[in-house]
Amino acid sequence: MIDLGEQLAKHGLAFAFSNVLVEQAGLPVPAVPVLVVGGALAADGKLPPWALLGAATGAAVIADSLWYTLGRWQGARMLKTVCKIAVSPDSCVRRMEGLYERFGLRSLLFCKFVPGFSTMAPTLAGALRAPRWRFQIFDALGAALWAVSAIGTGALFHSALDRVLAVLDGMGSLALVVLGAALAAYVAWRFVQRWRFLRELRMARISVADLTARLAGAEPPLIVDVRTPGAIRLDSRRIPGAMHLGFDEIEQRMAELPRARELILYCT
Amino acid sequence: MAQKLRQNGFTRIRPLLGGLDAWIEAGLPVEGEDEAAAAAAQA
Repeated sequence: MIDLGEQLAKHGLAFAFSNVLVEQAGLPVPAVPVLVVGGALAADGKLPPWALLGAATGAAVIADSLWYTLGRWQGARMLKTVCKIAVSPDSCVRRMEGLYERFGLRSLLFCKFVPGFSTMAPTLAGALRAPRWRFQIFDALGAALWAVSAIGTGALFHSALDRVLAVLDGMGSLALVVLGAALAAYVAWRFVQRWRFLRELRMARISVADLTARLAGAEPPLIVDVRTPGAIRLDSRRIPGAMHLGFDEIEQRMAELPRARELILYCT
Repeated sequence: MAQKLRQNGFTRIRPLLGGLDAWIEAGLPVEGEDEAAAAAAQA
């Protein structure tokens, strides 16, 4: 029989560190549950709270620095890679860029709380060439804030979590099966979401070849450039004849759009 | 973006597969700063 609580107390720090590192590296595993349990154990005096906070923050900062460096090195191309990895339908590039443009480096303070944004924000900071030292300061603050909230939640509800741990302990090795199944279900759910999202995108899209054929035809569509100002700064080229329309301008400029013509939207 | 326009009654909307990159990769012409810079370099 395994003692889950004891195992966590013994290897908790290393486990929390590698869990956060892997999650921040973009893999679809959750890190918050482990930090919440870690917080409960810390409240019971089974884990050193400051070391736990340090492990979680440190792991997040290491992973984020990597994204920043890759963003700086690869620029706009890296953003697309991140989008493909971020297994979250709501991690739409546009929304992320919008958030970053509005808040700049300050978005690093809350990026960990927005699904899909936690890997995107450091990459954006790198791609848009924010100064490295300022990035590190804001990122470390954001990572600490995130770790404190997860660990703090665990500490706050530690008695309830202790009961859950006790039940899992009582289940013996079956507990590992239950936890493994929960993790597998979570990862599978993320992949299904992503697959459905990508399929939906593909179905409704027009290919470049179809577009050029339509442009040469009797009823050419209107091409609309819907990139964010940041994306345009990275690459100022555009498709000839395209009109630019920002996400925030839709309401005001709606009247300019022809209702009879087909609209072709493009981003980077 | 497409969804927001659809909600506002624009039904004939399609995003371009692959975006601007696919357009450029197909060797089709673009306009803008980079093109102007290339033209200046040629002159």
